[in-house]
Amino acid sequence: MTVSDEELLRAIADLYADIDPTPADLVDGALARLAVQDLETEFELFTLVQPVDIQVGTRLDAEPETSATVALEFAGSAYRVLVRVSDTDDGVRRLDGWVVPALPMRVFLGPPGDAPADTRQSAYADREGRFEFPAAMRGEVRLWLLPQGARGEDASAPPFVTPPFLV
Amino acid sequence: MATHDAPGGPTSSALYDAATDAFRRWRTGDDPALDDLVRIMSPVLWHVVRATGLDREATEDVVQNTWLTLVRSADSVRDAQAITRWLCTAARREAWRVSKLGTRTRPVEDDVLDARLPAQTSPESEVVAGDESALLWQALSRLPGRCQKLLRIVAWEPRPDYSSVADSLEMPIGSIGPTRRRCLDKLRVELGGAT
Repeated sequence: MTVSDEELLRAIADLYADIDPTPADLVDGALARLAVQDLETEFELFTLVQPVDIQVGTRLDAEPETSATVALEFAGSAYRVLVRVSDTDDGVRRLDGWVVPALPMRVFLGPPGDAPADTRQSAYADREGRFEFPAAMRGEVRLWLLPQGARGEDASAPPFVTPPFLV
Repeated sequence: MATHDAPGGPTSSALYDAATDAFRRWRTGDDPALDDLVRIMSPVLWHVVRATGLDREATEDVVQNTWLTLVRSADSVRDAQAITRWLCTAARREAWRVSKLGTRTRPVEDDVLDARLPAQTSPESEVVAGDESALLWQALSRLPGRCQKLLRIVAWEPRPDYSSVADSLEMPIGSIGPTRRRCLDKLRVELGGAT
């Protein structure tokens, strides 16, 4: 019986997959490295344009009507970011953001400091510049924004990080 | 467990098309498509790099570094259809760089043999399950080391760039095609003799 080259090579591929399998975490490790690489970029620090008493956002007991929604505006050299943090019906904090002018972005939400990259939540800003974290982590956080349209379109837009704020 | 999902195997057009499509989507702004590309191609890069003789730990580093290289220099991939070739070549180049640093390289055939296939009479040799796999493994291991490496590469790499393969195996580019032919013929002879 003649075995074709393709069949033989397929059998060789399967054999090596069995005797020398890829590590279980090969893909996850690569994805984690890519995420960390994103965050190792030099970030320009946003400034808070619209000063908001961040304590308001946490004083739900005292002012339940007015404190449920917090709006922040940050500005950098190339664009602004508007952030709104609100409560959902089921008690989860929701964070909506808009990048102006609209740029495709990868957005990370995480604690300030050197926490491991995988403790950060991530989202993508769409073509209208909107992004959302439907169940944002609570506590002191900051946002990292990485322009993604850099591929040939707008390589000049720098990555940004916001100052810490409370969710 | 097979580590590749493409129905036709790692060198099939299904895997090649899926990788090309993921890359194209990523480049046109669909950022999660990069994750798809990583999932599709990492197993391929694993076997391509392991065939160069690097140990498992170093190979994992090389595969991760290859993805970083892609993200940093994606603009240098002019044609989406060249993405599998670009990645495999970048991985081989990185493997070469790492192996020049020394200390982390061992001949892959000995490595695999030691780690996975103790003496054939040993009960642990059931790692290669089934008669056909065992026969194929025995036939392969009777081939020259260069044949084993080359067959592993062409079994795993979609549409390989022969000049890059030639560099990595330190062979003239013109001899890759004929050597591939001869190695497959030898393997058939070994398989025939084994039955």
